[in-house]
Amino acid sequence: MIKKFFLLSLVVLFFCSNNAAAKVYVDIDSPAFKLIPVAICDFNNQSIDATKKGDAGIQVAEGVKKDLSLTGIFNLLNKKSFLEDKDSVSAVTAEKIRFSDWAAIGADYLLRGQVIQNGSEIIAASYFFDVTRGELIFNKKYRAPAGEIKDIARAMASDIMMALINDEGDFKTEIAFVSKNRLKSDIYSVSYDGSELRKLTGHQSILMTPRWSPDGTFLAFTSFKRGRPEIYLRNLKNGEERRIAAFEGLNLCGNFSPDGKKLLLTLSKDGNEEIYVLEIDSLKLRRLTSNYSIDVSPSWSPDGKKIVFVSNRSGSPQIYIMDADGNSAKRITYEGNYNTSPSWSPRGDRIVYEGLKNNKYQIFSIDEEGNNPLQLTSDASDNESPSWSPSGRQIVYVSQKHSKSKIFIMNSNGTNPRLLYEQNNKMVMTVWSPRFK
Amino acid sequence: MKNYITLKGVFVVMILSLLIFTGCAEKKSIVTGDTAQKQETVTAPAAGAAEQKDLAKSQESADAQAAAKEQSVDLEKMAKAASPVSDINFDFDSFSIRPDARDILKVNANYFMKHRVSSIVIEGHCDERGTAEYNMALGERRARETKQYLINLGIKESLIKTVSFGEERPLDPASDEEAWAKNRRAHFVVNE
Repeated sequence: MIKKFFLLSLVVLFFCSNNAAAKVYVDIDSPAFKLIPVAICDFNNQSIDATKKGDAGIQVAEGVKKDLSLTGIFNLLNKKSFLEDKDSVSAVTAEKIRFSDWAAIGADYLLRGQVIQNGSEIIAASYFFDVTRGELIFNKKYRAPAGEIKDIARAMASDIMMALINDEGDFKTEIAFVSKNRLKSDIYSVSYDGSELRKLTGHQSILMTPRWSPDGTFLAFTSFKRGRPEIYLRNLKNGEERRIAAFEGLNLCGNFSPDGKKLLLTLSKDGNEEIYVLEIDSLKLRRLTSNYSIDVSPSWSPDGKKIVFVSNRSGSPQIYIMDADGNSAKRITYEGNYNTSPSWSPRGDRIVYEGLKNNKYQIFSIDEEGNNPLQLTSDASDNESPSWSPSGRQIVYVSQKHSKSKIFIMNSNGTNPRLLYEQNNKMVMTVWSPRFK
Repeated sequence: MKNYITLKGVFVVMILSLLIFTGCAEKKSIVTGDTAQKQETVTAPAAGAAEQKDLAKSQESADAQAAAKEQSVDLEKMAKAASPVSDINFDFDSFSIRPDARDILKVNANYFMKHRVSSIVIEGHCDERGTAEYNMALGERRARETKQYLINLGIKESLIKTVSFGEERPLDPASDEEAWAKNRRAHFVVNE
């Protein structure tokens, strides 16, 4: 049985790789975009002792559903509405599936598959169909240690994203934030599905501005561990930490360059708050701005050619863009008199920031030329610290209301906000990680 | 003999109460020296000059211990420094020295000169509104503008250090205009 199943996977895999070339992707950025309706069947559990481990098939299906629901672009159809008859329940070939039954309940796509627990290993096969065309889109095989079904589910969800929107999604990511317990704070992270909380620092001091290195190995941040703001670099794999900036006055951490070799900083050592770039290995420093006003919160464009930052040179804090060498600074926000916390989309097309409107902080986005500003949040909370997902399709932010902090994720156009995480401590400065390998 | 014991007892009580009294007095002076600083202060250990060049070599654990020691020494010194030095306040999103603050700074500067203080750390603080990161820069600017004003009044530049706490250490944790006005301040930590 197992042999037959493997053979089948290989054959279908070959078949689908030819098919995929002509694929037209779903345009989820279109204003007319509607959630993609997908039916996900419980996987057929083919383990020898399937009666005992009968829920593995359900676990895979539920895992994929949960992951896809996090993306904010799918409508996952309720399995109670499924019409399929008993004969076709385990069918995984296009010929044997009655697509009309799936079209009737509104599904555009269908996922089914098989799972086998083989000793200490779980092996699963996915079959993803286009209901409208009645075709197989892909068939893939997955292996994971028993008990790690969620890894299989994540990989499948990622493959479905890839097939439909040409993007692997943000499944293997975390969101870092500063958690304050009275006067002590530290940096923590929580996984994309809100489940795993991880403590990243142990300073018990004033901590600020967590920044992930592009490969997710390092975390740079500002800490008052020694009584004043200095910048630390922590290797998240082995816990090694070193101070990399302790100039006189203010040392405030900006983000990493796309190649991970440089770090943007705000320093006041030369008389007022200016933006600098620090080469991490050599600790060589170069000053980028030269202006009597406050220049702060620098962040690179994804191609590393430009830097977005905050300056109050016009009299109030506003968002500016300059070349990576510090030249040609240009203001891009003109609405409102308090716009800060800019972050450049990994897709390069927009900058997200927070701005004061009707006495509340709300999240906005705007394009690089300063055109088409868009208000993304408008509830009665203060919504702060927006940060893009690696796919650039979602934005995380922290929402403060009645001294209660909640971390939300929304689609990049402001739709579908979902609660990611809440705790009793005050949380600030949410930052999305890169994809972990 | 009995009398002697009673006398001894009275003497002990007297010494004890004296000790308690001195203890109280010392506590009180902390409060005056650090006007209404209700919350625990993570005070700048008279922040060292630029140490950037030593960084590559520095050992983290040793650093932390040194910092902790430095900090406790500072608190002791602060306790002794009862003084008429007061905070100055700022307008929202502003670092300019207000007219009322100028008068306070003159009083402060007089005190610093008269008492030949050995160092002054100016802490810049902000209210909770606004972005924590921007406020960290704003607090630094408030401290620096204050420092410049003191220099203009004749205080030696080398005596003054600045440190920003942004919005992280409010005097009054309430979320109203009154609290915010108090929290936008420059605070002076003085070593005599």
